[in-house]
Amino acid sequence: MTERRDPMWIEVLVHVALLLAVAFALYPVLWVVSAALSPTDAPEVSAFPFPRDPSLRHFAAVVGTSDAEGRWLFGWQLFNSVVIAAATALTAIAIATPAAYAMARFDFVGKRGSTRALLATQMFPGVAAAIPLYLLLNFVHLLDTRSGLVLVYATTAVPFAIFQLRGAFEGIPKDLEEAAMVDGATRFGAFVRVVLPAARPALAITALFAFMTAWNEFILAATFLTSEEMYTLPVVLQRYIGEYDAQWPAFAAGAILVSVPVMLLFYALQRHLVGGLTSGGVKG
Amino acid sequence: MASLTLRSVRKQLGPNEILRGIDLEVEDGELVVLVGPSGCGKSTLLRTIAGLEIPDSGAVHIGERDVTRLAPRERDVAMVFQSYALYPHLTVRDNLAFGLKLRGEKPDVIAARVDEVARMLGLEALLDRYPRQMSGGQRQRVAMGRAIARRPKLFLFDEPLSNLDAALRAEVRVEIKKLHRELGATMVYVTHDQVEAMTLADRLVVLRTGEVEQVGPPLEVYGQPASRFVASFMGSPAMNFVPARGEADAVKAEGLTLPVRGAPEGEVLVGIRPHDVLERDGGPIAMDVEVVEAMGFEAYAHGKVGAVPFVARLEGDRAGAVKVGDRIALDVAPGAVHLFDAETQRALR
Amino acid sequence: MGKGRQRLATIALLACALVCSESAAQAGPAVGQAPVDVVVWHAYRGQEEAALRQVARAFEAENPDVRVRLVAQPFGAYASKLESAIPTGNGPDLFIDAHDRIESFASRGLLQPITPPDAEAFARRLDGRHQAAFTALGALHGYPLSVKTAALYVNASLAPDPIESFEDLEALALPDGVFPLAMEAESAYWTAGFFAAHGASLLNDEHGWGLEGEGALTALRRLSRWVESRVVPEESSGDLVKRLFSEGQAAAAISGPWLAPDLPEALDWRVQPLPVVASTGARMRPYATVEGAYLAARSAQPAAANRFAAFLTFGEGALLRARVARQIVTDREAWPALEGDAFLQRFREAADDAAVMPTHPHMRMIFGPADRAIRKVLRGTATPEDALEEGRHRFDDVTRPLPAPRSPAWGLAALGLLTLLGALAMVRRLREPAFRGALRKSMPAYRYVAHAAVAVGLLVILPLVVGGLTSFFAGRGLEEMYFVGVANYVDILVARGGDLLGHGSFWLVLAVTVLWTVLNVALHLVIGVFLALLLHRPYLRMKALYRVLLILPWAVPNYVTALAWKGMFHRQFGAVNALLTSLGAEPVSWFSHWTTAFSANVATNVWLGFPFMMVVTLGALTSIPKDVYEAAAVDGANAWQRFRLITAPMLVPFLAPAVAMGSVWTFNMFNVVFLVSGGEPDGSTEILVSEAYRWAFTRGNQYGYAAAYAVLIFLILLVSTRVASKAAEADA
Repeated sequence: MTERRDPMWIEVLVHVALLLAVAFALYPVLWVVSAALSPTDAPEVSAFPFPRDPSLRHFAAVVGTSDAEGRWLFGWQLFNSVVIAAATALTAIAIATPAAYAMARFDFVGKRGSTRALLATQMFPGVAAAIPLYLLLNFVHLLDTRSGLVLVYATTAVPFAIFQLRGAFEGIPKDLEEAAMVDGATRFGAFVRVVLPAARPALAITALFAFMTAWNEFILAATFLTSEEMYTLPVVLQRYIGEYDAQWPAFAAGAILVSVPVMLLFYALQRHLVGGLTSGGVKG
Repeated sequence: MASLTLRSVRKQLGPNEILRGIDLEVEDGELVVLVGPSGCGKSTLLRTIAGLEIPDSGAVHIGERDVTRLAPRERDVAMVFQSYALYPHLTVRDNLAFGLKLRGEKPDVIAARVDEVARMLGLEALLDRYPRQMSGGQRQRVAMGRAIARRPKLFLFDEPLSNLDAALRAEVRVEIKKLHRELGATMVYVTHDQVEAMTLADRLVVLRTGEVEQVGPPLEVYGQPASRFVASFMGSPAMNFVPARGEADAVKAEGLTLPVRGAPEGEVLVGIRPHDVLERDGGPIAMDVEVVEAMGFEAYAHGKVGAVPFVARLEGDRAGAVKVGDRIALDVAPGAVHLFDAETQRALR
Repeated sequence: MGKGRQRLATIALLACALVCSESAAQAGPAVGQAPVDVVVWHAYRGQEEAALRQVARAFEAENPDVRVRLVAQPFGAYASKLESAIPTGNGPDLFIDAHDRIESFASRGLLQPITPPDAEAFARRLDGRHQAAFTALGALHGYPLSVKTAALYVNASLAPDPIESFEDLEALALPDGVFPLAMEAESAYWTAGFFAAHGASLLNDEHGWGLEGEGALTALRRLSRWVESRVVPEESSGDLVKRLFSEGQAAAAISGPWLAPDLPEALDWRVQPLPVVASTGARMRPYATVEGAYLAARSAQPAAANRFAAFLTFGEGALLRARVARQIVTDREAWPALEGDAFLQRFREAADDAAVMPTHPHMRMIFGPADRAIRKVLRGTATPEDALEEGRHRFDDVTRPLPAPRSPAWGLAALGLLTLLGALAMVRRLREPAFRGALRKSMPAYRYVAHAAVAVGLLVILPLVVGGLTSFFAGRGLEEMYFVGVANYVDILVARGGDLLGHGSFWLVLAVTVLWTVLNVALHLVIGVFLALLLHRPYLRMKALYRVLLILPWAVPNYVTALAWKGMFHRQFGAVNALLTSLGAEPVSWFSHWTTAFSANVATNVWLGFPFMMVVTLGALTSIPKDVYEAAAVDGANAWQRFRLITAPMLVPFLAPAVAMGSVWTFNMFNVVFLVSGGEPDGSTEILVSEAYRWAFTRGNQYGYAAAYAVLIFLILLVSTRVASKAAEADA
């Protein structure tokens, strides 16, 4: 059946459906883009979001932000975002990977309990944890530091990463590790040299999700960071929404700048995304 | 190379006792095949030798060394897995070199060894490929090459041919035999395929539910099965079993009367291999034919002796002559009649 | 392997770079030992921020011993940040904020009283009302800097004559589609002055609900009529006011001084006092908020901070702020120098007319209920009488007295008992030899999980537990929490004594949340699976392109898209209605009816969530062997049967976990509800988690109450996922 091609009209219908879906997916994005490109501070509205006389001045304004001492703030803030998100991804992977491996391969007292606890953390609304977290970070003097934020983001990303990676490890044949162990590796050596490389797609996807957690988060960042040179880009974005008015075009331009790196990562990893998510399977 | 000694090895997994006290000696340079149906414990036994399972009691010695509690990497064994377990992220070259690198061999030694093994197995053209870029047969070769490159004390094979098609399997079987001769290595080979077992083994070990049922050279095991289990497992088509009564120097059943000198009195089980019967008018076995399979140079008649299913090998040219519904008479050489205790199912002679 | 080691080294280097850059950044300010640093927090942007910088520079020029470090904060997180940072010693020396929070700031110990360097000048140069605004607990707690209030902007080419009264505005002869007045008619803050002109105020003298009586009703009816007859725009926002007025779409606008810098050069406009209500003869009297500089408690440099605050308030500081930021400065002696500035003078007059906003904590809590009441009337979903009555209930609800304190002994006893029982159970298990054997066998595994357990336990579970425990406490804000036992839970579960299925009751919100979750997940699933099936077709052209474009919504931060969608659903200026009208349909007022507002939320969230399901399904589809389909095709199954009998059952094991996770996430999807409908209309589209947020942050910081909501959400999800997985097991 799969070898036979469908009649033309079905093919056309499929494309129409997909094009509609693409229009649905792109429409709000185009809106944001057109607001960002608008030449004025008050973007015009129409059903079809294509800006007349597009202008890059909002992008220039967002990118060119500097602080009272004339330092190039946007550069610092971009650096913060990149460093924090990348470090979050690395830390989350470093913490989650061995634990996920143990969950996939070993039986141990408390395995069921910890699985449930991990699942439960996903259910508790984060609103309730913000203040205790603040006090905790204050206690260890990590407020207003990149490391503190990385720590918080990484650990919040860990439960999901563990589920994701456990599924991936379960999909890797045990034979591989046993072969490595017979070949002269320790259990941990087999894990590092054989299991991890075989799980690369899942690791990449898990890292991408952890990266996104950190890259897009702004509530905790806005609360924990108190100096402008420490801000991440989402916090900067929030600055364009004030008490009395909002600078939508600047906000939109910033939003696009924030989104582009993640889009590029998605694009680069999309092949793995399809396999990685499923082989990972968000098993509960 | 080294010998291998197992002493009353026991292993329990969950509620099931997988190995119930296995004793086994494998001499230096010998190829021993562990054979048995699935669930008999042969793979667990192999994994115990490899160190992937630790026995609950008993001892494993490789050479003079007690390795019972040692990790796999400390035993200097190599294993070929049923799934081949090739490292998917490494090229053939790196797969072959993996164990050597882990042992800290020098790069030039490794390169030389890899080249040697590749030449031996005809893998030269594949060295830079990844496992996913190769056929099943090629992967199997790489898996063997990985074991050979290590030059271990002991080779372990866990059903290495079961994922190959029949023709390739026969080819590789011969190759393994050749390799064994060339390397002079000690090998333990697990299979459920009795043809592999017969053709490869220096010595066969037939396992059943965690116990050794019979040990011996293949022909001995085939010719003098120690039990009904061994008899039915070795040989294809399987041996026929007819429940019979032993009387003075004869065993009798419906449609069967065989002279057996010194036959025990009472209930016995008569075992006759399909290949050991001859079609002969007035033969002591009367068989009602239900199906005839023509194989060319030979044919198999399936039917019943009395109420018991029975298979007989016929000459190829008889396939056309014997018809469904015929009753044919069969004879059997006295030495080819196996008698088993009806109760214990152990061989009586 | 060398490669692995290299990679490790790279990671180590990266970590090192991270830490080093940290210490470098921290070392930065500490290097200059000589001048002391004064840290000033503010939420200013644009010209106001520029003015502040100039003042700081001028101050530093005169005071070389002090360096002023200005830190801009996002407005959205400003208050909660002050509340958490100052008590823990992480706050600024000085911060700039409106006066109306002074009582809660002062009562929570965030402030320290100030002594102006020149007390006489302070008294002389500042208006008594402004001084009073910064007096709390009997002491002066800040420097009043500027007044924020509203005046009337008039487009001179559309309305050349002076506008004396609202009736003048109504009578303007204007081109089609031009509004006589752009104002935020749905906001209690912006209409408070209008109510005042009708003799009604938001808060009465006892700090209770004040919108009642004939005056309030008349004002409300009038606003409603204005919206109907398009005197003012519907669903107005500050943004819309700005846009309409800048584009010449409104003859006049009620707005603050911050509007002026954004107006286009070509526009011919003037500012004048707010109009009079002809029927009462009273002028619209809006609220004025006074922005000031507060001296933060635990400031490291109170003296220097005090000096800077004084500099900022008076003289050069005031002039810079007036000239650069167009602020209506409080320093009386700055005004003669601003004589020729008509704009500022008009606003100063407006400020003098305005009522300084009361500082009672109830003031901040009245806007929510009052906004809702006004909005309901303006959107035609309630009569003014009913809306005001409901508003009063709602206000009484959020300002109801906190539960009485209970002796913490009970809580401690319960906690102790639980700990004891837990310890006993632990000891008993440890005595079992089988358990000890199992424990011994688990040791290797523990080496792999230990650090994850510690990290997650400390940084995820502990804060959640602490957060959960606060549900047994009550108080407004962090400092004054006291133990109340399970009173918060009881309150929630009996809907605070109101109708169990009435507005804002836990049970009603729960029902909405469940519907929200089910609908969203079902749509995610249907759309995701459908698109995945289309994309999985073997001969599809441009497959990769389609896939990338359809994953796009996932890559955009959800708060950005939520705001974009909110804009798209605007009644008059949103794209959705523009699309509808271009198709010949009537425009829909999306946020005035429950069904449409709820649909808008769902549409947004479906947009955000379908790519995830699509990708999961795509992955699952690749793992279904082709021969199964071939077998089915041979058996004569048509496309639908093939899907129903083969694809669907084979997808289930892959999709079940995704659906479970998706349901949990959707149940707690705060951003969409909060940003798109914001609970509109009338809080009816609120889900449990956004309700919890409101209690924590917009209804007087009732953290304990919010925590009780959070715990209830947690329990609901825990129980329902357990039930679902049990049911799935029973099925299998």
